[in-house]
Amino acid sequence: MQSRFSSTTRRGFVQSAVAGSLLMPGLLSELLAQDSIDPLKPRSPHFPAKAKSVIFLFMSGGVSHVDSFDPKPKLTTDHGKQVTFDHPETKNRPGYEKLFLKKPGWTFAPRGKSGIEVSEMFPNIASKVDDIALIRSMHTSHSNHFNATLGMHTGSFAFARPSIGSWVSYGLGTPNKNLPSFMVLSSEMPYAGTQVWASDFLPGAHQGTRVVPGSEPVANLKRRVATEGQQKLELNALAAFNEAHRTARPEEAQLAARIKSFETAFGMQSEMPAALDLSKESEATLGLYGLKRGETSGFGWQCLVARRLVERGVRFVELIHTGSSGNWDSHGNMADHGRLAKQVDQPIAGLIEDLKRTGLFDDTLVVWTTEFGRTPFNNTADNLGREHHNWAFSSWLAGAGVKRGVVHGATDEHGIRAEEKPVHVHDFHATILHLMGLDHTKLTYRHGGRDYRLTDVHGNVVKDVLA
Amino acid sequence: MSGRFRLLSAFVIVTSLLFSHVASAIEPSDAAGFKFFEDRVRPLLTEFCFSCHGATKQKGGLRLDSRAHAIKGGEIGPAIVPGDSSTGLMLKAVAYDGELKMPPKGKLTARQIADLTAWVKMGSPWPTDSASLVADPMNMPATKAGDHWSFLSFRESTPPRVNDEKWVRNPIDRFVLSKLTEKNLKTAPQADKRTLIRRATFDLLGLPPTPEEVEAFLRDDSSEAFAKLIDRLLASPQYGERWGRHWLDVARYADSNGMDENLSHANAWRYRDWVIRAFNSDMPFDRFVKLQLAGDLLIPDSPEGFVPTGFMMIGPKMLAEDDPVKMQMDIIDEQLDTLGQAFLGLTLGCARCHDHKFDPITAHDYYALAGILKSTKTMDNFNVVAKWQERPLADPAVAAKARTHDELIAATKKEIVSREGEGKKKLLAEARERIADYLATAEEVRKGRRASVSLMTGGKPPDGTLTVEAEDFQRGNVLKDREHYGKGIGVLVNAGPLPNFAEYDLTIPADGIYVLEIRYAAADPRPVRVLLDGKYLEDSAGRTTGGWFADKQSWDLGPVVTLKKGKAILRLERAGPFPHIDKLALVPLPPGQSAPVRPADLAVARKLVPVFLNQWVAHLDRLGKAPEGDALKKLAEAKDGPFAIPTPIDPLLAPEAASELKVLREKFARLEKERPVLPMAMAVSEGKPENLKIHLRGNHLTLGAEASRGFPTVLALPSQQSVDLKKSGRKELAEWITRPDHPLTARVAVNRLWTWHFGDGLVRTPDNFGRLGDSPVHRELLDWLASRFVKEGWSVKAMHRLIMLSATYQMSAAHDPATELKDPENRLHWRWPRQRLDAESFRDALLSVGGNLDKTPGGSLLTISNRAYVTSTANRNYDGYNSDRRSVYLPVVRSAGYEPFQAFDFPDPSVTKGRRAVTNVPAQSLLLMNSKLVAEQTRRLADRLIARPGDDASRINFAYELLFSRPASTIESSRAIEFVTQYEKAAMSEKLEAAEAKRRAWQGLCRALLSSNEFMYVE
Repeated sequence: MQSRFSSTTRRGFVQSAVAGSLLMPGLLSELLAQDSIDPLKPRSPHFPAKAKSVIFLFMSGGVSHVDSFDPKPKLTTDHGKQVTFDHPETKNRPGYEKLFLKKPGWTFAPRGKSGIEVSEMFPNIASKVDDIALIRSMHTSHSNHFNATLGMHTGSFAFARPSIGSWVSYGLGTPNKNLPSFMVLSSEMPYAGTQVWASDFLPGAHQGTRVVPGSEPVANLKRRVATEGQQKLELNALAAFNEAHRTARPEEAQLAARIKSFETAFGMQSEMPAALDLSKESEATLGLYGLKRGETSGFGWQCLVARRLVERGVRFVELIHTGSSGNWDSHGNMADHGRLAKQVDQPIAGLIEDLKRTGLFDDTLVVWTTEFGRTPFNNTADNLGREHHNWAFSSWLAGAGVKRGVVHGATDEHGIRAEEKPVHVHDFHATILHLMGLDHTKLTYRHGGRDYRLTDVHGNVVKDVLA
Repeated sequence: MSGRFRLLSAFVIVTSLLFSHVASAIEPSDAAGFKFFEDRVRPLLTEFCFSCHGATKQKGGLRLDSRAHAIKGGEIGPAIVPGDSSTGLMLKAVAYDGELKMPPKGKLTARQIADLTAWVKMGSPWPTDSASLVADPMNMPATKAGDHWSFLSFRESTPPRVNDEKWVRNPIDRFVLSKLTEKNLKTAPQADKRTLIRRATFDLLGLPPTPEEVEAFLRDDSSEAFAKLIDRLLASPQYGERWGRHWLDVARYADSNGMDENLSHANAWRYRDWVIRAFNSDMPFDRFVKLQLAGDLLIPDSPEGFVPTGFMMIGPKMLAEDDPVKMQMDIIDEQLDTLGQAFLGLTLGCARCHDHKFDPITAHDYYALAGILKSTKTMDNFNVVAKWQERPLADPAVAAKARTHDELIAATKKEIVSREGEGKKKLLAEARERIADYLATAEEVRKGRRASVSLMTGGKPPDGTLTVEAEDFQRGNVLKDREHYGKGIGVLVNAGPLPNFAEYDLTIPADGIYVLEIRYAAADPRPVRVLLDGKYLEDSAGRTTGGWFADKQSWDLGPVVTLKKGKAILRLERAGPFPHIDKLALVPLPPGQSAPVRPADLAVARKLVPVFLNQWVAHLDRLGKAPEGDALKKLAEAKDGPFAIPTPIDPLLAPEAASELKVLREKFARLEKERPVLPMAMAVSEGKPENLKIHLRGNHLTLGAEASRGFPTVLALPSQQSVDLKKSGRKELAEWITRPDHPLTARVAVNRLWTWHFGDGLVRTPDNFGRLGDSPVHRELLDWLASRFVKEGWSVKAMHRLIMLSATYQMSAAHDPATELKDPENRLHWRWPRQRLDAESFRDALLSVGGNLDKTPGGSLLTISNRAYVTSTANRNYDGYNSDRRSVYLPVVRSAGYEPFQAFDFPDPSVTKGRRAVTNVPAQSLLLMNSKLVAEQTRRLADRLIARPGDDASRINFAYELLFSRPASTIESSRAIEFVTQYEKAAMSEKLEAAEAKRRAWQGLCRALLSSNEFMYVE
C-alpha cells in the first residue's frame, strides 16, 4: 500500500499493456503540476496542522446529554418540579402548557484517571474518557432536525452551503489520488439528505462520496467491461486517441488533466474495494470493533472502514448513525437510547483503541457529535421520552492536537442551558478547522461575488481543548 | 442628460436626503461635523473598536458601529453622551486612568483622544445613522458606491477603427481586435467548416450535427453558408430546449421543493415549457422578464400571464418552519435574491440584515422591494408543511364546473359532520341518563375480574394455560417490532396493508372451557375481530390502555370458548391498524369455576354501550374508586372521559342512522374520486398591499422604520413610475427593471448570452455586477452590445446572429504560446475557448449517436404526484430518470439529482447559476468506463455501426463522422480495425458467440471514442 500522506506515487496501472508512458508522458506530468488543474492536489495548511485527517461521528436524531455525558444530580432531586420558559419545542404546543423536570434514566460515575463522569449508557466510551476532550456546553441555533443537521454540517441553518468535509478538502486537498478526499459512510439518508455532504459552490471534486454498505458501495466503481484485459484494451485505445488529439494541441493542460483522470478512475476501481475489504484484518482487530468476520454493515464496520480510509490518506471521513429514521430521536421512550448506544459504544471505543495502537491517533482528529440535545424536562415528569433541545448538548473531540481527559464548559444545574463557556456550532467548526491547520476566517471561497466561510461571520476557536 | 451626470445628481439627492433626515435627529447638523467624523473619528473606531464592538462581536454588549448603539452603550452604561464629554464611558476608557482601559492593546495618542473628545462635544455627528445597520464601515459608505461602472448608463461608443479591416466581420470584431492590437496579441486563424458546424450545432441545439448536415454545410460554398446554418439552427425547436435550459439555471428551476419537505412540484414544468417556447419564439427579452415578474398583471386571468410567474414560485422553501412570519420573510428573501441576481446581477439578499457591505443597496432599499413581494401572494398558507399557490389553467367553464364539484364535496362533508354531531348528541344524552348503571356495571366488572383466574390480575396462570407470543404468528401481514416498544418485548405493529391480520396454529392441551386473554397497549381504541377456526367470536382488545409503549401494556379479557383437545386456528383481524399486541393466552377455567364476567356480555344484557362500559372500567381502574358529586359529573362530561366517542361513530348508532351515514360516506368517497383534476400552474397573484418595516439584523422580531415600497435609491431612473400603493407594485417593478435606460438589465442579459456562447462572460461573474463582481475588460463592447440589444427590440436571436457571425466567434481554438503567456485566460478573445460538453449535451449526444433520442417536446416526466414527497427522509431516492427524451425534460429533483448529471457539473438547482462550474473528477471517468448509461448507448451505437452495409473501414468512418463530424484518417481507420480484431479475439477466448464477441469489440471501440477528448470537447 502507498505510504500515507506521501506524494502520490503512480500505481501499477496499465503498465504491462501500455507501458505507462503512453498515458502519462513527461510533458503531461509537467502540465499537471500547475496548481489550477487539480483541485485535490495537497495544499499547505495556514499553519502547521495538528491533525491530518478527521473522523466525524454523527449521531443522528439528537442524543440526550443529561442521560449520557452531562451528569445533573439536581435533575434527579428536582424530578417533577415545574419549570417555566419559552422553549422552541414546547411553545404554543397543545399539551405542553406546563413543563416538569425529568430525571436521567442512566447512572453516572467517575471514569478513568480524569474522573470525568459518564453514564452507563456508554460503558466502553467511558473507559476511553481519558483520551477525549468533552464539551458539555454545546448549543445550536435550531431545534428542527433538518436545520440543526444542516447547521452542524455546513454552518448554515437555512440555506444550502458546502459541508465541513468539503471545506476541509478544499483547504487541504488530499494525498491519495486513488480515493476521494471526503467520504461519508452511511447506510441511510440523513436529515437534509445529500446536502450534508454537498460541496455546493465549492468545486465538485470536494463533494463527499457516499459509501453505502452493500454490493456497489460507490457509483460506477464496478468494472462493467467483462475482463480487466478488455478494459485495458479500451483504455489503451482511449489513450491513443487522446494522445493523437493532444499532439496537435500541445500545452493544453485542460486536456492533459482529463487524460489523467482516467488513470485515477482506474486506480479507484481497485483501491476503493481494497479499502473496504476487511478480510485481512485480524480477529483481534475485528474484536475491538465488535465485528464478526464477514460482516459488511453496522457501525463497527463503519468505524473499522474509517480507520482504513484514514490510513490511506482520506482527509475527512464521516460516519452517520443511523440516518433520518430509527435514530436517536427518542420522543416516545428514552429506553431506545440504550439500544442505539449498544450499536455504537464498542465500535467507537474500539476505533479509539485501534487508532492509538496503530499510531494514527497522533494525526487523526475524532469528532463525536449530534445535531442537538434532548430536553431535561417534559410535559409530565413521567413522560418516557424527551423532546428536541438546542439550548445545550454534549459533543467531544479526541486525538491529534486535542487535550486528553478534560471537560470544557458546563450547563446549568438542570442541563437546560449551556451556561459556562458556551460553544456554538460555529465555534466547534472553527476549532475543527484550527486543528487541521486552517484559520476559519481565512478559509474562504468567492462565490456570487462574495467571500463565503464555513463559519459565516462567526466562530471562535475553543482554545481550552487544544493540547 | 448623460448617464454619468444623471446618476451623480441622483447621488447628490440621495445623500442630501439622507443627511437632512439624520440632521433632524442630531445637533449640530452641519456637514462639517460629518466630515470631521469621517476624517478623524470613523478611522479611529474602525481601527481600534469595531473588531470587538462591531457587527460581528459585541464585547460587554457594546456596539460602536452606529451612533444609536454608542449612545445605548453596553452592559455597564452608555459609551457616549453626545455633547457631554464628562459622562460617557468611551472617553473615560480611552483616558486610561481608571479600571476600564480601552483600547486594550495600548493607549491612544493625545491627538486621537482629543479628536474623540471634540467629536463628543460637537454632539457626536454621525452620518448614515439611517441604520444601526451599517454593517461594516470599513467598506465604502453605501451611497458612495453609486459610481460603480454597472450603475452608470451605457457608454455610447462607436466601434473603433482597426488596422486589419479584412479580419472584421462585424462591429464586435472591431472592439476585440482593437484591444488585441493594443496589447500586441495575435488572433487565432478562422476555424474550418467542420469545426464550425460542430461548434454552432452544439452551441445552439446542444446536439452534434448529423453527418448529412455536415455534408450539406460543406457543399454550400456561398459566403452566406454559415449565416444560413445559424438561421436553420435558430429555427429548430431544439434551440429553445438548449437555451431555455440555460435560463433554467438562472431561474434555479426544479421539479421538487428540496429543503426540509422535499415535495414534488408536479406543475413546475409548465413554467419550464413556457421558457422553452419563449426562446423558440424569440420573445423580446424585456417582455420575457416582465412576464416572469408580473405576467398575471400584464395579461390578467390568463395562463399566458400567470404561468411565467412560476419563476417566483419554484425556489426552495423551508415548508416546515414553525414560525410563519419567518417563513414568509425567508421566502421573500429567496425570491428577491433570485430576481436580483437573475435580472440585475445584484446580490440583494445581502441587504436583508444590514446595508449591503459592498453595493449601494441599503436595508431600506431591501425592505422597499421586499414589501412588493410581501404584497404578492405566493403561498396558500404558512402552516407547518406550508402550501404554495397554484392557479388553474382550465377555461372558466371547466373551472366553474370543478368549483361546483368542490362545493358538492364540501356540502356532503358538512352533512356527514352534522349527522355525526346529531348521533353523538343523542348517544351522549342517553348515556348520561344512565351514569348510575354504567358505574354499577363497571364496578361489577372490576369485582368479577378480581375474583377471576385471569392474567389481568397479575396472578399466576392456572396449569394448562396456553401462552403465545403475539409475534409468533404463523400467517399475517403485520410487522413484528422488538425494538421500539419496550425492552425485551415484541409487539405487532401495522405494516401498511389493510386489513391487518395474524393467524396462530394452536395445539389445545385438553378439552375444556377457555378464556382468551390478550396483552396489548393502545392509545386509541383499536378493537380486533377474533375468529376461531374461521368462526367469528367477538371483538376484543378494544380498550385504550393509555399509550403505545411497554408501560401501558395490560391484559384484557376476550371471548370464552369451549375447545376440544387438538389443533385450532386463532385469527385476529382488523380493517384498520392493530393495537400493539404483545401476548395471547388461553386460560382454562378450573372445573366448577364460572366464567369471568365479561363487560361485553353485561353491556348487552343491560343495554349499555360496550365501548362506554369499557371506558368506565378503565377510568375507575385509574382512579381507584368511583368519584362522586361534581367530580363524577365532570368526569362524565370530560372530552377524554368514559363517554368519549370513538371514531368512526357509526357502530354505536341506531341501524337506520348508521346506514344513512354509510350512504353519505360512500357519496363523499365517490365525489372525491371523481373530482376533476384541473391543470394547474405554480403562480403568484396579488396579495394584500402593505409596506414592510426594516428588520434589524434581518430579525422579524426587531422591527425598525417602515420602508415604503419602491426601488433602490441608487438606481433611481428619471421620471420613474412610483409604486401604486393600492397594489403590490410588481407591475412597476417589472417596468422599472426592463426600462431601456436601466443600466443593469440589458448589460446583465447580453453578458449572459455571451457567457453561454463562449463559456465565460465579458463580465465573468454573470450573476454579480456589483462591486465584488468582475470588471469587464471589454466594457465598451458590453455597452455597445447592451445598447444594440435594446435598440433591436431585445431580440435574443438577433444577438445570437450578431455574436456568431463575428470573426471573434469563428476563430479556431489554436494555441499560441506567446499569446497565452500574455493572456492565459483568453479574456481578450484571441482564440476560441475550447469547451467541455455540459451534462445535458453529453447525455443528449449519447442518445443522438445511439439513434434513440426522442425529440418529443414538452410535458412532464415526473413520476410523483403533486405535493407528494419525492425523496422521503428515509433511504429512498428519486429514480424516475428512465427516458429517451431530451435532458431538459428529465425531472430536476433537489437533493436527488440524476447521477450522470451530478458527475458532469449540473448546478445545484436551489440557487441561480449563470455560469456552471467545469470540473474534471474521476467520477466522470468512472461514469464513462462503468455506467449503465454509457454501456447502453455504446451498445446501441455499436449495433448501429455493425448493421451498416459496407466494410469495417466505412463503419469506422461513419463513427468518426457521427462523433467528431470528420472522417477517420487512414491510420485511425486501420488502428481502429486492429483494435476491433484484437478485442474480438480477447472476447472469443471467453467462449462467447462470434456475433456477441463482435458486438463487444465494437462497443469497446465506441466507448473509447465517446470517452475521448475529441468527443467531449467542442472546439
